[in-house]
Amino acid sequence: MKRFIAVVLLSLVVVSVGFSAASAPLRIGICKIIEHPALDAVEQGVIDALTAAGYEEGVDVEYLIASAQGDFSTAIAIAQNFKAQNVDLVVAIATPTAQAAVEVFRGSDTPIIYGAVTDPVGAELVPSATDPSGNENVTGVSDMVPVEAHLRLLKELSPDINTIGIVYNPGEANSAILTEMALAAAPSVGVTIVTATADTTANVPLAAQSLVGRVDAFYVTTDNTVVSAIDSVLAASEEAGVPFLMADPTSLAQATLAAGFDYYEHGLTVGQIVLDVLSGVGTDEIPVTYQPSAEVHLNLDAAERIGFVFPASVVDQASAILYGGIIWERQSP
Amino acid sequence: MAALWIHAVEQGLAYGIAALGVFLTYRILKFPDLTVDGSFVTGAAIASILLVQYGVDPFTVLPIAFVAGGIAGLITGFLNTRLGITDLLAGVLTMIMLYSINLRIMGRPNLSLLRVPTVTRVVDAVWSPLGSLAILAFIAILTLAIKVLLDVFLQTEVGFALRATGDSEPMITAQGVNTKTMKILGLVVSNGLVALSGALVAQYSGFADVGMGLGTIVTGLAAVIIGGTLIRSSRVGWMTLGVLLGSLVYRVAVILALRYGYVIGFQASDLKLITSLLVILALVVPYLRERRLRKVSAC
Repeated sequence: MKRFIAVVLLSLVVVSVGFSAASAPLRIGICKIIEHPALDAVEQGVIDALTAAGYEEGVDVEYLIASAQGDFSTAIAIAQNFKAQNVDLVVAIATPTAQAAVEVFRGSDTPIIYGAVTDPVGAELVPSATDPSGNENVTGVSDMVPVEAHLRLLKELSPDINTIGIVYNPGEANSAILTEMALAAAPSVGVTIVTATADTTANVPLAAQSLVGRVDAFYVTTDNTVVSAIDSVLAASEEAGVPFLMADPTSLAQATLAAGFDYYEHGLTVGQIVLDVLSGVGTDEIPVTYQPSAEVHLNLDAAERIGFVFPASVVDQASAILYGGIIWERQSP
Repeated sequence: MAALWIHAVEQGLAYGIAALGVFLTYRILKFPDLTVDGSFVTGAAIASILLVQYGVDPFTVLPIAFVAGGIAGLITGFLNTRLGITDLLAGVLTMIMLYSINLRIMGRPNLSLLRVPTVTRVVDAVWSPLGSLAILAFIAILTLAIKVLLDVFLQTEVGFALRATGDSEPMITAQGVNTKTMKILGLVVSNGLVALSGALVAQYSGFADVGMGLGTIVTGLAAVIIGGTLIRSSRVGWMTLGVLLGSLVYRVAVILALRYGYVIGFQASDLKLITSLLVILALVVPYLRERRLRKVSAC
């Protein structure tokens, strides 16, 4: 009998806990700086990761989704709104949104998880990339592009590739740092970097054209300005008859080859950090997570147009190829 | 929710300083000056690099930013009055130049102020008895002081000459006033104010970014025009008050759209639409009421 009562009591506790959880869903604020395919994909990835882990939208979790629509003052207002509405956790996508959230939530214990931030230490979101003990309420995932690996990949295409042209917008924080990294890594890879800058999308074609005849390959990182006019870079590389590497596989159709990760996967990684924090892991226990990226995609159609043949070593690495207008994925063994 | 209203007023007043700058060129001088999209960032950039690199006191960087913005205005004024480049193009050219110059000043496109003392953080600590109103009190005092200074300036002899330059250039030239000098002076003060606003906003936000000036002219003009509609007066003091009110209306609209937009089924991407609809509402309600009153009195 005693045991029976204990079971009844226990089940009552379980049920009431279950009910209280159901009646007050978790509130997560997600903000991004602007509507952009990559940032939208991160947002979707976060939500899908949580859904897959059993957080049903509207039942277990409520999302407050906001976009600053390119306006920096709105990024601050969004963070202030999240704070006023007592969200349980903030997901901040892109550097300025993350900085705004950190400033507004200063001194509070609401966790802030950032994504699509290239250099979280340079942006002062966290004090150290490896030691999380000083993180306070902030942690997240960096979308740092492995620039050096990309330069090596270009060098692997042909030993004749000695000069690599980069088109970028010096006004984009992420782009500026990736270009700096390329310049720093170039001597050890054995290449020379030539840059051409475009401050607006309209100036990208001119910048790309300025490199024709001066470089043996084109390289573009995750530069939002340049990506918006990516076709003009491909046109310039084809005019020069040299390969063009794009650090984003979603743009494969507009490049000779692409390497890197998909931003949806990046969102899933951010979502995983969110789940870790929700399960009780402290933000000061999670160091900066770097998005693993190893995928190489080849565009055989574009290579054919410039009469370029990929060496076997690169073909072996490829996880997908674009041929005859169709993307062929490598089947996992 | 109260906190959110406080923040809306803080931002309205902080951006209100930039709106006062736009008011000076657009309303007083009748000079459509696009320099401000660049000089706003110049103020933020100067302030940030001084705070981060040189450890300058956060209050001292505000007047320094004013001077830097003034130089930007000087360039536009020089291009327009001495080199004969039209007003719009002179402003655009300076704005474009400032993009590169701002990058040079900061040394990188984004400078974080999250780990240095800023005015907002100092005020928050020193005026802690005021609680959550401390930052609002500081920004209000600063903005109103600037408004009063601007009012006084526009009542001086030079101020009158400046206003006359915008109202009727040939007449004031006949009076022996050098209108070119007046235009340059107006542009210097205007861009100084805009840069000061940028320096304040960067510290308030915790970072400076080379892209943060985008739309300064649009929100500034919106504040000037909303203000002119809400307070109809040709007295300088009322006009500048109207500008600050206009800036507040805009920020309150953003906050309302963020807070209640999704409740009534709007998506994140609808933000700018809702904000603008709210501003239209703020403009139309007084207009319709006035028209109705006029109809009643006509009967």
